[in-house]
Amino acid sequence: METVLEVKDLCVTYQNKSRSVYAVKDVSFSINQGDSLGIVGESGSGKSTLAMAILRLLPPKTAKVTGEAYFQGKELLTLDDASLREIRWKHLAVVFQKAMNALSPVHRISTQIEDIYRQHEPKATRQEIRQRSQELFQMVGLPDRVYRLYPHEMSGGMLQRVAIAISLLHSPQLLIFDEATTALDVVTQGQILEEVVRLEKALNTTRIMITHDMSVVSASCTKTAVMYAGQMMEIGQTRDVLKRPMHPYTQGLLHSFPTLTGERKTLESIPGSLPDLSVEHAGCVFAPRCPFATDRCHAKRPAARQMEDGRTVACWRYGGESDG
Amino acid sequence: MTKYVIRRIFSGLLTALIVFTLNFIIIKAAPGDPIKTLMGKDTNDPVLRAALEEKWGLNEPEYVQYFNYLTNALRGDLGTSIIYNQSVASMIGSRWGPTVLLGLVAAILALLIGTFLGIFAAQHEGGIMDGLFSMVSYALDAMPPFWLGLMLMIVFASRLGWLPTNGMTDVRAGYTGFAYVLDVARHMVLPCLTLTLVSIPGYFRIAKSSVLQVSNEDFITTLRATGMSERKIFDKYIFRNAILPTITLFGITMAFLITGITLIEIVFSWPGMGRLTMTAINQRDYPALMGIYLVVAICVSVVMIIVDIVYALFDPRIRYD
Repeated sequence: METVLEVKDLCVTYQNKSRSVYAVKDVSFSINQGDSLGIVGESGSGKSTLAMAILRLLPPKTAKVTGEAYFQGKELLTLDDASLREIRWKHLAVVFQKAMNALSPVHRISTQIEDIYRQHEPKATRQEIRQRSQELFQMVGLPDRVYRLYPHEMSGGMLQRVAIAISLLHSPQLLIFDEATTALDVVTQGQILEEVVRLEKALNTTRIMITHDMSVVSASCTKTAVMYAGQMMEIGQTRDVLKRPMHPYTQGLLHSFPTLTGERKTLESIPGSLPDLSVEHAGCVFAPRCPFATDRCHAKRPAARQMEDGRTVACWRYGGESDG
Repeated sequence: MTKYVIRRIFSGLLTALIVFTLNFIIIKAAPGDPIKTLMGKDTNDPVLRAALEEKWGLNEPEYVQYFNYLTNALRGDLGTSIIYNQSVASMIGSRWGPTVLLGLVAAILALLIGTFLGIFAAQHEGGIMDGLFSMVSYALDAMPPFWLGLMLMIVFASRLGWLPTNGMTDVRAGYTGFAYVLDVARHMVLPCLTLTLVSIPGYFRIAKSSVLQVSNEDFITTLRATGMSERKIFDKYIFRNAILPTITLFGITMAFLITGITLIEIVFSWPGMGRLTMTAINQRDYPALMGIYLVVAICVSVVMIIVDIVYALFDPRIRYD
């Protein structure tokens, strides 16, 4: 299968005069065409920063990005502006968390769609764009009249659908959802996720879903990546990661979510809180909160190891010895 | 939109009527008896009193007096000044032009310059020019307008002699036509400059902060992600959203200018409403004051209506219909 996106050793450091914050550190992963990757983690774990870095949307003055991100063979992080603009939205689109703010409040939906569409099809007529929008609106379950409305005339759920429809304007190969359904109620979220999965199959798009909600991942993603404090803890097939989590952090995260069908038991939280990201940690970044932590965990960072079922785990408990 | 405009005009009319009524009540409640003043301190002849009350309509019940005043005002008759024995309407008529001219020119100049500099500072945030503009803006904000006016007068009129010190025209020259326009323009430079300079900081700061705020909105990030050029994003999306607070500020400033221009007019002997107001207050010229307040209130309402309509044109969220 063709690899759509390959990220190697991506680091993002937010810098100001007095200190640096290592928001994302040495993250590597790849995603194949047709896959959907859910990136989960607590607030502040760097998952949104990771997405923004791949999209090249971080402010260059304050965020230093290193590493490589190959999208269809092109290295995104060093791409010149013109080529980048050529890729943006046509091949690589994004839907943000706050749909309420994702559209300009003083322009009609039609105006904004026309402007965005003409970015890559400068000669497109109004009728053409209108027709394309109608198709997409139908796909995401929006009525026709939305086209003529202003954002404040719609509900949050409708706006989220509009944002998703807009992201699909040029049928991009890769779609990034940054907490795109977090602000919605579970019913609407469920509907939208169902539509997204259906659309994906129809259009053969690849998706990265950034969320802190395990249920979103289990409902809509084929692969799951778990991030903690800016680092990848575990990546693998969703069924493997969620059914048999290997990394202690993943286990802890899953223990803090209730199941509908399982037996009744007390939910456990992970003791402690996120480490200070403005200092570099010598050992495993999760060690201070890990119930299995040993001296080695505190002293040296475990490398990511590939397991038999194809997943990757960064933990000393799983065959770190040979790493020396 | 039409519905909104109609409703807005109606509420403006209502404001004017309320001001008119309050005006009437305040003057009625003020101490002193106009008939006593007219008769003189030592006269107390009931026949004379009755005749005077008859003449001025003060023998009528209060509500009749109110409606008389209202119908007269609607016909453009605002009464007669006690001090100058002139019709108040004609006194105001010859004075409102210079005030509106000065106020409007200063407001528009401040709006354009302040907003332009604010946008520039926001686009170069943290740069040298941003720091410089911000510093100058704070300095100007801290200066009393009349003091700034006097300083400018000392430098440009007295020392350098480039510009006239006071008035609106050179009365001895008696210019006509284009020469007259030029003469007024020359006289207007200093008062207008003073008013513009003190109004710039407000526009500067509001433009800078709202451009910065809108630039950080999610929809701007989204537009960036669509590959739209920074220029287009700014020209179409940031500007249109960031200009809204400036429109509001313009309305507030206009209302302030119409009333608060007084000191500048006195400093520069500008023959406007401000000086008329000052004189009327000093001489307890009640009919003149009532007339002035009414005209000012109507001016402010009209400006507010216009600003509200312009705002609604820019911001669809305001047109709640």
